[in-house]
Amino acid sequence: MATNTDAGNSKYVTLVSSDNYEFVVLREATLISPAIKSMLLSPMREGQTGRCVFPEIHGLVMEKIVEYFHYWYKNRDKTVVPDMEIPVDLCLELLVAADFLGLDSKLLS
Amino acid sequence: MGPQSALTDFLASHNISANQIRLDAEARRRAAGQNPDGSPVEGTEVVAESATAAVEDETASPEPAGRRRRATVAAEEKRKKEQKLIDKIKASKKFQKRKRNDDEDSDYEDDLARAIFQERSAPLPGQMENCAGCGKRFTVTTYSRNAPDGGLLCSPCGKELAKTEDVPKKKPKRISGALAGRRQVQSNILDGTFYPGAKSLMTLCIETLAKNIDLAEDLGDLPEPVIDKIARKLSKHRLLNTSTLSLFIQPTVEQIYIYDCAKLTADDFVRVFQTAPNLKKIKACNAIHFKDEVMDYLLSRNINLEDFYLHGANLVSEAKWKEFLEKKGKPLRSLKVYWTDKHFNDGSLAVLPTACPSLERLKVYHNQRVTGDGVKDIAKIKTLRHLGLDLREPVHPDVFVGLLAAIGKDLETLSLARMPDLDNSVLDAIHNRCRSLRKLRLTDSDTITDQGFERLFKDWDNKELFFIDFQKCRQLDSVKPRENPNGIGLCSKGFTALMEHSGPKLRHLNVHGCRNISAAAFEEVFAAEKVYPGLRKLEISFCEEVTDFIVGSIFRSCPNLRELNVFGCMKVKDVKVPRGKILVGVPNALGMVIDGDDD
Repeated sequence: MATNTDAGNSKYVTLVSSDNYEFVVLREATLISPAIKSMLLSPMREGQTGRCVFPEIHGLVMEKIVEYFHYWYKNRDKTVVPDMEIPVDLCLELLVAADFLGLDSKLLS
Repeated sequence: MGPQSALTDFLASHNISANQIRLDAEARRRAAGQNPDGSPVEGTEVVAESATAAVEDETASPEPAGRRRRATVAAEEKRKKEQKLIDKIKASKKFQKRKRNDDEDSDYEDDLARAIFQERSAPLPGQMENCAGCGKRFTVTTYSRNAPDGGLLCSPCGKELAKTEDVPKKKPKRISGALAGRRQVQSNILDGTFYPGAKSLMTLCIETLAKNIDLAEDLGDLPEPVIDKIARKLSKHRLLNTSTLSLFIQPTVEQIYIYDCAKLTADDFVRVFQTAPNLKKIKACNAIHFKDEVMDYLLSRNINLEDFYLHGANLVSEAKWKEFLEKKGKPLRSLKVYWTDKHFNDGSLAVLPTACPSLERLKVYHNQRVTGDGVKDIAKIKTLRHLGLDLREPVHPDVFVGLLAAIGKDLETLSLARMPDLDNSVLDAIHNRCRSLRKLRLTDSDTITDQGFERLFKDWDNKELFFIDFQKCRQLDSVKPRENPNGIGLCSKGFTALMEHSGPKLRHLNVHGCRNISAAAFEEVFAAEKVYPGLRKLEISFCEEVTDFIVGSIFRSCPNLRELNVFGCMKVKDVKVPRGKILVGVPNALGMVIDGDDD
């Protein structure tokens, strides 16, 4: 657990799934999600500790989301981006989670 | 022996006797007559080869004893010949060379020799051969397949073999790698769906879902915008049919947007109204099967639609439209009818003012029987806020002047597409009457003049517009295409006045084909000190005076611009595009410039 006082400004943040799996992710990569961004920038505990708990998101789904964060971060400046593979059985749950985290198409924003 | 030909001499010098070949061929023909497994004699090597085939056939298919004995004797002889040949191969230089490269193993040596032997003895294309499968004679081609245990197969047997083997079929050649990506990007740019960087997770999920939609049983409790996106994606791939429609119709839903009804039947529409009694908004594109019977069912139900969007429903009759509007018109706030040939007409529009007391939004696009009389009736709908018309019949400008006088004050959207007769009187009416307009579209007029546009925007008491489309308002003269003495169309003054009035708030501007706007006007409008923070999409295609400098100035003056279209602007040559912007239609091989490197 991040007890570091500087955790609020650390390069990494910790995302915790409903079954208590912890994922340490590059902070910049998570900022694509408006939901996580507002959590991290808030003066609440998440903003201070850099630790976001998602009791609604299962570890399996969270893993995929973290993978997406890195995929997005890696490709953020490219024009031609290969699609990330989405497992069919997780598709609907991932869709709900994506909606929850605001990982929406930029067309609407 | 008679006189010999040169060929016979030549063959004889190579130890080949023409006579022997002829005799062998006769013997073979005889053998083929009585025995389907008769061995061909094409050359000495082929003899041995087909002998092995004969032996293999022998073991595979039992035959009468006499024939078998004869065959066994022949096979014995052939096998000896084969052995001799193999020994010869083993002694050859080529074999030694090949062997040296590999490890020295006696078993291996035999295999190698046999492999070389078979390699050499395979019949060449064009020769006759006995099929290793059915024994029939056939002509060897380059496509003849090898039998699993040696020999060649005729084409029917080869096909059989191909069927049983599960060799993965070669996929149709697809362009892959960077080229495919580039093509997709260009396609997306023209669709207006291009964004640099990775796709959103939601888009990825929806694409996966659309690919596997047959596995989905239920979409669960997804929010409405997400469901709408799924519906769009499915329709785009033309996957919306009777079974996938079920995913969208739940008893509780209030809106159903179907973007492609081409595969749906009248029963499907009835099912929609059956299962969703709370339906408020319905949109049906390509709704060919939205027929009278569907209307009848809708009329019989206690469904109060607020939003009704029907595209391509040609089979709803005039009487049914009238009945629908009279009975169900009361709660209706939005009515959009696209592409109906005959039955949605002036009569239907005449019902609206009385039957639809809360109608705010009306769109009538591409309906052949709507004329000026219908437009006059629209003027009586006092609640109207948004009006969109794209009619086939010519309508006199005075009709629009009358309409604007009656309901222009509250109109927020006015879209009059493809109206060649529109003239300055309509613009003056807009100037005098409209006070709440946000979106204005007047296209294809070849009567409106520059002065008309200038008068419209100068000292207009309307707020800034968000959306302006004056596409193809220009002079059309095939004899003197370059001259425009009367200042027809949107020219320099009109454009300057437009940007002065609406520029700060404008989000979308289309002046496609307004080719008399001068370079000086563009330079003035997009001068260094002017900023248009709202502008996101600008279309200046076929404005001939646009230069590299003007395009650069546009990028400077519009910090939030996403897309700039410059098709047919031949003076645009080599522009630096700032990062994250899209420039479409550059007249060079590239065509599209996106996401430039310049910050």
